[in-house]
Amino acid sequence: MRELEKIEVDTLVVGSGIAGLQAALDLADQGYSVAIVEKAPSIGGKMISLSKVFPTLDCASCITTPRMASVSHHPRIKTLTYSTVDAIKREGKTFTASVTRKPRYIDEKECISCKRCEEVCPVYLPDEYEQGLGAKKTISIPFTNAIPQLPVMHPEHCIRCGACARACPKDCIEFLQEPAPVEIKAKAVILATGYETTPMTAKKQYGLGKLPNVISPMAAERLLAPHGPYGRVLRPSDGMVPGSIAYVQCAGSRDKSIGVPYCSRVCCMYAIKQAILLSGSLPIADITIYYMDIRAFGKGYEQFYNNARAMGINFVKAKVARITEDEKHNPILRIERQEGDSAPAEVKHELVVLSQGLLPGCDVSKFNLGAGLNDFGFVQLSDETVSSAVTAGAGVFAAGVVKGPRDIPDSVVDAGSAAMEAASYIRKL
Amino acid sequence: MKVNPELIDEIKKYGAFDISACFNCGNCTAVCPLSKEDASFPRKLIRAGHVGMEEKITSAIEPWHCYYCGECSSTCPREAQPGEYMMALRRYLIAKYDITGLSRIFYKNGWLQTWLALGLLAGFYLLYSSYTGDFGALAGKIELAFPVYVTIALGGYIINMYRYAIVKPLGGIKASLKPAHIYETFVHGFTQKNFNGCEETDWTRWIAHLLVMSGYVLTLLISNLHLLSPLDKQYSAFSPVSLLVWYAGLAILIGGGVMSLRRVFKSAESSKFSHPSDWLFVATMFLIGASLLFTHYLNVAYGPQDPLLAKVYRLNIAIETVWILLIVPFTKWIHIFFRPLAVYFQHVKREAAAGTAFGFNLSR
Repeated sequence: MRELEKIEVDTLVVGSGIAGLQAALDLADQGYSVAIVEKAPSIGGKMISLSKVFPTLDCASCITTPRMASVSHHPRIKTLTYSTVDAIKREGKTFTASVTRKPRYIDEKECISCKRCEEVCPVYLPDEYEQGLGAKKTISIPFTNAIPQLPVMHPEHCIRCGACARACPKDCIEFLQEPAPVEIKAKAVILATGYETTPMTAKKQYGLGKLPNVISPMAAERLLAPHGPYGRVLRPSDGMVPGSIAYVQCAGSRDKSIGVPYCSRVCCMYAIKQAILLSGSLPIADITIYYMDIRAFGKGYEQFYNNARAMGINFVKAKVARITEDEKHNPILRIERQEGDSAPAEVKHELVVLSQGLLPGCDVSKFNLGAGLNDFGFVQLSDETVSSAVTAGAGVFAAGVVKGPRDIPDSVVDAGSAAMEAASYIRKL
Repeated sequence: MKVNPELIDEIKKYGAFDISACFNCGNCTAVCPLSKEDASFPRKLIRAGHVGMEEKITSAIEPWHCYYCGECSSTCPREAQPGEYMMALRRYLIAKYDITGLSRIFYKNGWLQTWLALGLLAGFYLLYSSYTGDFGALAGKIELAFPVYVTIALGGYIINMYRYAIVKPLGGIKASLKPAHIYETFVHGFTQKNFNGCEETDWTRWIAHLLVMSGYVLTLLISNLHLLSPLDKQYSAFSPVSLLVWYAGLAILIGGGVMSLRRVFKSAESSKFSHPSDWLFVATMFLIGASLLFTHYLNVAYGPQDPLLAKVYRLNIAIETVWILLIVPFTKWIHIFFRPLAVYFQHVKREAAAGTAFGFNLSR
């Protein structure tokens, strides 16, 4: 272990997705000091990996990267990436968080982000940022617009050839680097730990992730992103341009049989958005959305949905019960056609996207901060009608999906509200 | 079409307590391996139940195509138990087809039928015990009365099922005379091969069911044809009749035992919910097998004059009497006729739709 690093700030923000970034900026701009801790090697959360956002079809990076840059350059914000919060202790009116900086196996202060190490590294890995669709080097900068632009080495895959160390002009490769402990003292804590999507294995009838052309919505985002793994939409099994694409709605929500009875709020809209983007990149492809009911509730959402219908995207009211595949790995969906006489039917597509739902990204109850959880593991607000950020724990606030599924505009708005609540709490101390 | 707003509450009295949770997504119909183009279930029938379309329900033959694999229930996003709803519909339809109205009373009043069965059993046993004449001869007469009674009861049911499923919805008397359709009806009747239509064949369930059914049909033959006169004749252990009895008794005991254990431990989706009539059915079946075996064993081992044999034989006949009087006509027993008939009626409906059915229209 390296030497203990001590940081003292007004607010600790856990998580640097769009909600965490917004809350940190709103506090720092009011003059409060902030420490933001992120477990991934880059700030930006889930949003930085999205292609575009609904219902405006704005580029997701164009909204996220300015905030990422502002946070990383802000004089009152201290950013700790590739770090985990192990525990938070409440002592009187201050919180003491024990944080571990995971080793990147480079000297972070000396690195000039020249990428020479990445160029010479001979070992390729599946790139989790590209949802396994692309490859990356064992030592590499996580993605193009990552902040900070620091490479991470994965020692479990490294063959110790030393090529990176010889290529590094600053001599900053440290094969023996160890985790570093950090202690953060703060007056308030904002939880912005976000979500994970329901896993591919959630429902036995959907192939348990073993069908190559049944992909997650995050993978579809990467296929659609301008700097995605292939630069165009190709299906994983054979690199074919898919001529018929289906969306399976409620593939991870509103289903008691998988233990997620709630609606995840974003799946209808992201499926419609992806369908619209797909019909832009694959103009002759047939796109079908199998839905139980379309929940287009926000400002401009219904219009967006109607536009998609008018563009020729098929909306079929049916719950997909089972997914199998033919010998060419074309997914086959078993549904009940409900129009007319209604009958069970099997429909073949070339690529299928499971519209997965949102699960809590982190079990924040392990911090014992007094913030209660609801039945599904999301943070319970002390009184939802009074504030959208105040939890039952004094000085503990929540922003974004940690409180329950919500979309980007909602997350940004209530991140601002969490920042305001935290500021007024600190003032009153 | 007439709408009955109380329909869903009525169906719930036959089981299916959770069906109001259904949000009509159609997962059940899509996941069901037995649901077909022209016989699509359960969602359509749940919907018909919810909106009170009574005629759709009473004319439905789909409940008899359902073998309760339980896939619909285990994958239902609302845990609304569509499989149990189909089971409830079968009970509802039995009550509907039953002209006496007794099935309805029994289904709705939990353990009433069981208490009545116990009472009747005690009554008949005392009656048979107090008979001073030649009980062997009396038993022969009683057993010969069984098929007459069953035929009358069954005839009523089948005519009523035909009326509800074919005559009312199609507006006429229709039939299919194609040999293939009639042959298929019999094949389904004897093998219940649709059991294997389920996604993952539940072999234990199918074998247990086949054992019980074959054992039971044999018992029925043995008693209705009066093949056994244990009080008059001594049978050898390996005579043809004895072999039939050994098989029938053991098949019922083993099959019935497996089925009861599954209900006790709720090991499969189809055995999670048990109506009192299910217990009565399984338990009486078990008793029939046991008493048949025991009677025959006593006869083979100790001869027709054995005093215990006289008692056990009377008990055996008393159990059979209760079974024939109370259980055969008023529980799911009759589904063994409805299931193959439903296969046949499906063909009739198909032919009627194509205009090739044999028959004539009734003017309304």
